Amino acid sequence: MRKIDLTLILIVTFLIIIGLIAIYSAAGTRYLFRQLLFLPFGLVGLLVAFFTPRRIILGTAEILYILTLIMLITVLIWGTGPGAKRWFAIGAFNIQPSEVAKFTTTVVLAKYLSYRRNLKLDFPNIAGPAFLTITPVLLILAEPDLSTAISILPAFAAMLYWQGLRPLHILLLFIPPFSFVAGFSIYFWIPFFILLAIIVFLRMKFLPAITTLIISSAFGLLSPIVISLLKDYQRARIKNFFAPWLDPHGIGWNAIQSQIAIGSGRVLGKGYLKGTQKRLGFLPNRHTDFIFSSIAEEFGLLGSIVLLLLFFLFIHRILLTAYKTRDQNGALLCIGFAAIITYQIFVNIGMLLGVLPITGITLPFISYGGSSLLVTMTMLGLLLNVGTKPE
Amino acid sequence: MKIRLRRLNQIVIISLAILGIRLFSLQIIRGERYARLSDRNRIRKIILTAPRGRIFDRNGIPLADTRPSWTIAVIPTETNDSALSFLSAILKIPMPELRRRLEPIAAFPSPVNICRDVSFKIVAQIEENNFRLPGVMTRVDPVRNYPYGPIYAHCIGYIGEITDAELARDTSYHRLDYIGKTGIEARYEKRLRGADGTQFVEVDVRGREIGPLPEKRVQSPISGNDIYLTINHRLQQLAYELSKPYERSAVVGIAIRTGEILCLISNPAFDPNLFLSHLNSARWDSLVSNPAKPFFNRVISAAYPPGSTFKPLIALLALEKQLITPQTNFIPCNGGFRYGNRTFRCWSAHGHLNLIEAIEQSCNSYFYQIGLRLNVDTLSKFCRRLKLDQPSYIDIPGEKIGNVPSREFLNRRYGKGKWTQGVMLNLAIGQGELTLTPLQLALLYACIANDGTYFQPYLVDRIESAGTVIYTANPKQVKVELNSSQLKIIKTALTRVVEYGTARGAQLPEISIAGKTGTAQNPPKPDHAWFVGYAPAEDPEVVFAVILENAGQGGAAAAPIVSALVRSYFLSKNSYAQD
Repeated sequence: MRKIDLTLILIVTFLIIIGLIAIYSAAGTRYLFRQLLFLPFGLVGLLVAFFTPRRIILGTAEILYILTLIMLITVLIWGTGPGAKRWFAIGAFNIQPSEVAKFTTTVVLAKYLSYRRNLKLDFPNIAGPAFLTITPVLLILAEPDLSTAISILPAFAAMLYWQGLRPLHILLLFIPPFSFVAGFSIYFWIPFFILLAIIVFLRMKFLPAITTLIISSAFGLLSPIVISLLKDYQRARIKNFFAPWLDPHGIGWNAIQSQIAIGSGRVLGKGYLKGTQKRLGFLPNRHTDFIFSSIAEEFGLLGSIVLLLLFFLFIHRILLTAYKTRDQNGALLCIGFAAIITYQIFVNIGMLLGVLPITGITLPFISYGGSSLLVTMTMLGLLLNVGTKPE
Repeated sequence: MKIRLRRLNQIVIISLAILGIRLFSLQIIRGERYARLSDRNRIRKIILTAPRGRIFDRNGIPLADTRPSWTIAVIPTETNDSALSFLSAILKIPMPELRRRLEPIAAFPSPVNICRDVSFKIVAQIEENNFRLPGVMTRVDPVRNYPYGPIYAHCIGYIGEITDAELARDTSYHRLDYIGKTGIEARYEKRLRGADGTQFVEVDVRGREIGPLPEKRVQSPISGNDIYLTINHRLQQLAYELSKPYERSAVVGIAIRTGEILCLISNPAFDPNLFLSHLNSARWDSLVSNPAKPFFNRVISAAYPPGSTFKPLIALLALEKQLITPQTNFIPCNGGFRYGNRTFRCWSAHGHLNLIEAIEQSCNSYFYQIGLRLNVDTLSKFCRRLKLDQPSYIDIPGEKIGNVPSREFLNRRYGKGKWTQGVMLNLAIGQGELTLTPLQLALLYACIANDGTYFQPYLVDRIESAGTVIYTANPKQVKVELNSSQLKIIKTALTRVVEYGTARGAQLPEISIAGKTGTAQNPPKPDHAWFVGYAPAEDPEVVFAVILENAGQGGAAAAPIVSALVRSYFLSKNSYAQD
């Protein structure tokens, strides 16, 4: 048994403390205490994941995965949430199965992919893992929760890459869904198609390149057809699904207010507890999805960069663990979790900075919320498990 | 493995670097702009309306003050179309007009006034439907109040919403601000207006005001200056009541030794309180289309032939030019005077009269015969000496002057050589081309009463700023070269007019009044009745001129009004003296 990664624990401690400080500023003592209440649950998750032998975790991976799918199906029936069916309300707490799905899907994928090194793009190699990935993704899409659904895909892609699949092949694998999604709007689809054509002709022979483009076009054409078959209200739902940032204040209001908050923080920020955008309610969900805006408003560029550096150190540390461990399965878990966390950081902060559209996604360790904290802490426990106990 | 680790690491670095660059761009490059936007978000600039200066009569009775009123304001950045169309229905202001009022967008989202002085019913309706009206607010503003309504319509004038043209002239105003339109309100706009204050308040995302912004001090509104008029409210009220039965009439009273205007009434009048709230167009139309012209200030803007009231001046001129002596007896009046093949009529057959008797009885025949000897150039020169071709420079806008006939004027009017001495005969009895405003006539008599000096008329006695006097009127003397022994003759005649002559109806037991009746011919409609008089006859203090349009002969209707005013003037003077 190797030494426990104290650096990683220290970084996470810092991140959680920053989160608590920010939650207090954004939403006051009530949410601070509730988040403090979630911490022990998170710690339990961490300890369980850390002390449970990985044999057992891997042995129950399928069971956990199936249980997750059952949860995802039942949440579609009995779930609640704003305009969607995303969580179970149990007492004062909400349990969000899609958060759990990130964890269990990664575990099950790590198990299946660890048997195959030097992956090739062929049916026997890819079909199984792809099916394992797509099922929860589609179920989460149905809630609908686009950004969480997509968050599983980077884990899948990163693990395929780690197991030797060529980046070009990963790209080809993701073409059909991308093309279908881009096909909802001609303005998305044309740039997407041009970019694809350039890559394909540079890196592939003529015939496979043409085949790829044809397949892509077929999936792209599929979506207008699907749309034309839908009823008006369903079409409106899809529009809302792809543009959830259309809010009552008009297009992009939340995004603009977030950018105003961040920009007005300037170099050193307005000072702790002094963010006017946050205080006067111009930031929506300021303790959950928009917490980074509040931090950037109060602590400025300096505070934001410190936070980004801490996140980088955290991910870098996980990747190093993956590299050091000789155990395939453990390394894949590290890669998968690192991908999910990177995706969440990038999408969350990116949307607040106006680089990406506004969607509902939390900032790991920082945002208020029990499910998110429990799942990330459990991931951390498993990562520490991999780092300390090679099998 | 190592290469893959490095690649993945690079992806992470690139992702975070994109975020870092974007952060730099937002917080450093565009930081200032966003800081401003953030302030705009949270800071609302509120204009604190300055209470308009009050207007008092000479004894401190408030004639125009302020009262609290409801204003409807809209914050353009926080409202929406459905709210505006709902508001438009409540306020009965058409949508395009509503939008026009919202046009100016300030640096900070500030409430823009949409409608002022609305009824409580409308306020209640808006508050009830609060949730449907985002960005719409109601607040209390001080607004003008005219407790005596139409009595001061032509003296104090009125204020109303600023027009686009006025707005273009003075950018310190905002749309929907009130501005003085006529009278004292217009002339002393700058003094009365005061300075609006500003307050910056912090608001939350729902537009609720959290409190004053600590970084910016409240700029309190400075109320306008208070103006004390020379008007005597009792006299004004009486003048209004006495003249009101005559649909078109005017009364003016002046203190002879200072030029203070004591009362100024023009009928028909209007209620100046009407223009404070969004005036309904039917009411406005009825005022504008009224053929009697309620906005027309007859005291200073309407010129009438002075009729017989001008005879004393013709007499003065004739004496001066030695055309007659006080003893001159002309051909006796037999009810008219034959000149050429035309008979110029007199209103009675007066027989033999000397000058004083002719004035006393207002005999036309006598004055026709003066007219026979008069030259138009002499008359026109005399009129200019009496300053009838100049405005009096009274301190309210809209003053007009009458017409002083000259040779050129008559040539222009009738054609050169196409008019005869007959014109002069008419002018000698005050009819025809010579016209005067009631104010001019009153001043003319002040000049006679005061032996050739009169004072420039004025309405503002003093201006006070927060209790400190900052302006006091300084009466300006105007001298007219007149022979005092000749004036004495005229004054005797004017006293006799009331004692024995045409204005016996104006007699008062305790005070002697001197004055002259007049009838301004107004064919084909009934004549206008004039009376102008001063008192006490022996030591004149006050002069009144009254014209009642279409009221027929002067003595009967107009003279009693003057005597009532004179009595009230001396009564109130004595009662104040006792206080």
